[in-house]
Amino acid sequence: MENANVLQTASMHRRVLKLMGNRFEITVVSDDAAWAQERINDAIAEIQRIERLLTTFNEDSETNRINRYAGIMPVKVSAEIIALIQRATRISRLTQGAFDITYGAVNKSLWNFDTHMNALPDAATARKMVRLINFRNVIVDEAGGTVFLKEKGMRIGFGGIGKGYAAECAKSLLQRLGVTSGIVNAAGDLTVWGRQPDGQPWTVGIANPDQANRLFSSLQLSDMALATSGNYEKYVFINGKRYSHTIDPRTGLPVSGIKSVSILCPNAEIADALTTPVMIMGIRAGLDMINQINGIGCIIIDDNNQIFTSQNIRIK
Amino acid sequence: MKRISLTVLGLYVGMLAAFSQSDTDSTQYKRRKLTLEEANLISSYYHQDGNNAAVTGGIGSERLTDLSNSFELRLSKLDKKDRKHTFDIELGIDHYSSASSDKIDPKTVSSASSADTRLYPSLNWSVENKKGTTLGAGLSLSSEFDYKSIGINAMVAQKTRDKSGEFSLKLQAYLDQLKLILPVELRTGSNPEDEKDYPTASRNSFSASLSYSQIINQQLQVAFLTDVVYQHGYLGLPFHRIYFNDGSEGVENLPANRFKIPVGLRASYFAGDHLVLRGYYRYYHDSWGLDAHTASIEASVKLTPFFSVTPFYRYYTQNGVTYFAPFQAHDPGQEYYTSNYDLSAFHSHFFGAGFRVIPPHGVFGISHFNMLEVRYGRYEKSNSMQANIVSLNIRIK
Repeated sequence: MENANVLQTASMHRRVLKLMGNRFEITVVSDDAAWAQERINDAIAEIQRIERLLTTFNEDSETNRINRYAGIMPVKVSAEIIALIQRATRISRLTQGAFDITYGAVNKSLWNFDTHMNALPDAATARKMVRLINFRNVIVDEAGGTVFLKEKGMRIGFGGIGKGYAAECAKSLLQRLGVTSGIVNAAGDLTVWGRQPDGQPWTVGIANPDQANRLFSSLQLSDMALATSGNYEKYVFINGKRYSHTIDPRTGLPVSGIKSVSILCPNAEIADALTTPVMIMGIRAGLDMINQINGIGCIIIDDNNQIFTSQNIRIK
Repeated sequence: MKRISLTVLGLYVGMLAAFSQSDTDSTQYKRRKLTLEEANLISSYYHQDGNNAAVTGGIGSERLTDLSNSFELRLSKLDKKDRKHTFDIELGIDHYSSASSDKIDPKTVSSASSADTRLYPSLNWSVENKKGTTLGAGLSLSSEFDYKSIGINAMVAQKTRDKSGEFSLKLQAYLDQLKLILPVELRTGSNPEDEKDYPTASRNSFSASLSYSQIINQQLQVAFLTDVVYQHGYLGLPFHRIYFNDGSEGVENLPANRFKIPVGLRASYFAGDHLVLRGYYRYYHDSWGLDAHTASIEASVKLTPFFSVTPFYRYYTQNGVTYFAPFQAHDPGQEYYTSNYDLSAFHSHFFGAGFRVIPPHGVFGISHFNMLEVRYGRYEKSNSMQANIVSLNIRIK
């Protein structure tokens, strides 16, 4: 019997739209449809505000102004960007540099990663390509409110953290506006709070890395964020080994071994930021790190379809 | 009831062996001990730089420090033909104690019968394909001191093309062995010391259950249910005493075959978000001459998203079986006789209400304790039996 669904749709209000170049889905639980739609509008406005701060498509965004003056001079930016860079730097240190917002400096023309590639570049060439990637060269002056990239040609980008940050901000805003239950899904980086209208926790699925439109597992969640990163589409086989489009910022070489990483934690920004570094660090170092952080869960599927999880995941 | 339930929803792949590393993992990242601050990344994430106006409000660090320590992951697996397999392995253990079974033999108060432990492992498998056909089969075993049962079942279900209706057929067989433990005064010879000494009898039950459920519209769902049940073997109970009209005593004796046909109709009506009405009617007939009608109605009212009240009423009526007679009314010359009042003519009323709370942060703030239901019912049977029933249903995740 589908009783739950019949009751459910009546007070769940959902909108799907493209924001930050991705598919966002915002769900608000309320008895009042008009009020819920207004709150969804508020969340959209908040995400669009963040998009304007972080985009690299608009030359005048704060992010692009920092990049334009790389190696030249510090740039005055908003406190919000400074705080975001400081948090990103903490994650870079935590992940031994596997997470790095200066990843934007990868020379795309040098690294022709496409599906026709049949050999890896030699180590020296690869290294050269990532020489400008170094989070330690982002100089933040909190008191003066400025950010300076030390090397000319360096670029920062928030691709690895921005969607999670936007989801977290939208959720936070909705909660302050009185939305007690809802979901913000930023193209798979999602955060849920409260309960479904029937009082049950939300059921959240994780896609099967071999068939992205199928679920391989599901979880019952409340007040939790889940982010998944995988190399479902973009990968190549070289000498029988599968390489993903994700490049290790320390070596410049594509990473292999892992098909997908999912991170669970109460904060969508952290969940989003940690998926790619775990993929880069590998199962052993990645899970060892996750196991030491309180309140984070991690599910990894390797190239052989084996599941590895952090110690706090119980498979049912 | 303490129930250990282990659900394995399709084994996707080999289980986790978190550190049995494959050689594909050739990174230069090393395992290292995190600092305390790093380990508390989540709870300290914003404290560090509280100048982020967009995020510092709202979420509240209070919630972030209340981190859950484990997550439950449910796996599902589609096979090469896109079918979804489900396996359930259940191991139930019931430890129960019952006062009345001691009266079989007052000398054995501390024996296994005063506090039996039942073990009932079961294995069920089902597969559903994309066309909405489900096939399933199962096996169960149940064993207690005076009773052993083997159950086998097979089922098939088919959804209608628009998936709004489903037809199902389930065939079941239970092959039971029971020990004939007569009331102590009726045993002949010495009291058996060893349980192997009790005589045994078999009882086999076969049933075919047909059901059809249909979603009529968003508000109304109905289901038709019918069973055909055939039982063969020792159908009475060896410790049900009979006192005949000549003062002699025996145990009940009932025919070795029984054929039952219940036919039922169930309807659920979803009137808006906060009210669900459920109605049920069943007619029952069996070859011992028992006819019964059951009608029930309940309304589930959701007062808040987390609290609901469910008043209910059930009426039941049956005529008695022809073999029934009360205390000292049976003639010892009869072929079959029973004084079990469950087989006499009576009607009953059962009414009450259930109160259910599902707080978002758990009952009493305990997040694993996510549902509490208290149900009170008053049961009144026409042959002067009355009972007040309070049941507590809790769910712990």
